[in-house]
Amino acid sequence: MSSTVLNLEPTLSQRLLKEVMDRSGQNLLACYQCRRCAAGCPVGDETGVTPDRLIRMVLLGEKDDALNNLLVWKCVACYTCGTRCPNNIHTARITETLKQMSKEAHIEPMTPKVAAFHDSFTTSVSHFGRMNEMEFMGMYEMKITRSEAKHGNWKAIVDEIMDQAKLGLSMMKNKRMHISLAKIKGLSEIKRLYKKAKEKSAGH
Amino acid sequence: MEIAYYPGCTLHASSEFYDIQSRLVLGQLGVELKEIDDWNCCGATSASKTNEFLAVALPARNLGIADASGFSEMLIPCSSCYSRLLVSQKMLTDNSELRYKINAELTKKVEGKIKIKSILEVLVSKVRSGEIAEKTTKKLEGLKPACYYGCLLTRFPYDLDVPDSVENPQGMEIVCKTLGAEPLDWSYKTDCCGASASVNDTDQALVLMSMIMKDAIGRGANCFVTTCPMCQLNLDAYQDKVRDKYGIQNRLPVYFITELLGVAMGMSPKKLQIDRHFVDAIGLFKELKLL
Repeated sequence: MSSTVLNLEPTLSQRLLKEVMDRSGQNLLACYQCRRCAAGCPVGDETGVTPDRLIRMVLLGEKDDALNNLLVWKCVACYTCGTRCPNNIHTARITETLKQMSKEAHIEPMTPKVAAFHDSFTTSVSHFGRMNEMEFMGMYEMKITRSEAKHGNWKAIVDEIMDQAKLGLSMMKNKRMHISLAKIKGLSEIKRLYKKAKEKSAGH
Repeated sequence: MEIAYYPGCTLHASSEFYDIQSRLVLGQLGVELKEIDDWNCCGATSASKTNEFLAVALPARNLGIADASGFSEMLIPCSSCYSRLLVSQKMLTDNSELRYKINAELTKKVEGKIKIKSILEVLVSKVRSGEIAEKTTKKLEGLKPACYYGCLLTRFPYDLDVPDSVENPQGMEIVCKTLGAEPLDWSYKTDCCGASASVNDTDQALVLMSMIMKDAIGRGANCFVTTCPMCQLNLDAYQDKVRDKYGIQNRLPVYFITELLGVAMGMSPKKLQIDRHFVDAIGLFKELKLL
């Protein structure tokens, strides 16, 4: 992204490429830069980086840029790029992989709220086997408040609380809010799957 | 007939009325929904963004339960759950090593037998058999819905047999026409509304919703109809924000397809719980003298 001169390090690019291809299950080498994905990407205008650019970053071994750009964080997983790709490359799955690799490399997310949202959701499911909207949203708000407080963004915290309180109240008014917690009986199976998932990602 | 049923978390929480309506409407069409035992969350978009193993393993436990249920088909109304279970099933059919690894942790193993159906597939089959025309008493004249499919009903992050056209699906239009409504041709029916971003990247979601709203209004729609609870909640709960920010005057109720069917079958709004919308959804039915 930042490079203006093509600077190819085959040893670095090979390693990155192999990991991304293995984990995402996508053949990045098939990309011939037709940019149909870019034309259909709903967040491309905002991210600057489009799916074709992201693929090129990985091919060139630009690891820092590939793990740290707005597309990785703002991708809405609509799968338009993948269904339109003449070579069947699902870039949404590449962004998922890069997001996970970015977390494993302890890189601070470019959009902390997006990271906190998906982390909270997945953690919440590990507690009860189901997603409980109240628990999940509570965890999410705690996470982002902590992150904003670390940077002293008090106004952002107040705005966020006001916004969510407003949404919460109208959810309540329209009987869309559920207070009771749903929990499954086979929670031990879920715990085992989470344990295996952790081992698997640590193995990379 | 009886069919296995996976409601998913949302249909037990913020979109509970979609669960109620699905049971009522399909019941009327002779399809009894049998909720599978002790199902878990499918992981939705978040699991796939957090951990690639969980994204397959969480739906897999439900597939195992469904395979052991004795039913041959399972209905999943939520587009996100539908997509995750369908993708997981196909991945596990193609990858025996992964299937073995996941099955090792499951009491009920994935066999890959259960046929997963979206609510539209079931409804379209009931149009073809003539049962919908037979069971509906009211023509929904004057209702001009923009049929909104969103992302997850026709686009999958894996090679699958897609049940409808990827770019221009018609299932919802087929159902709406049978009910006497006039669905419109429009350009944003499979565009993303940004539901997974509305809480954490609100501005992004608002941009996407504004384009969807503008096109629907420009074509003369007086409501949206959808089958996805994520899209429904997003377009409904955030509609005022979109209107304020983008200077849009019209308000469009966002119906579940089951609400149109229920009203056409003569069910009361109370029974269908149509009062659980953010944007008033009963007024338009009354205005068109359908209630």
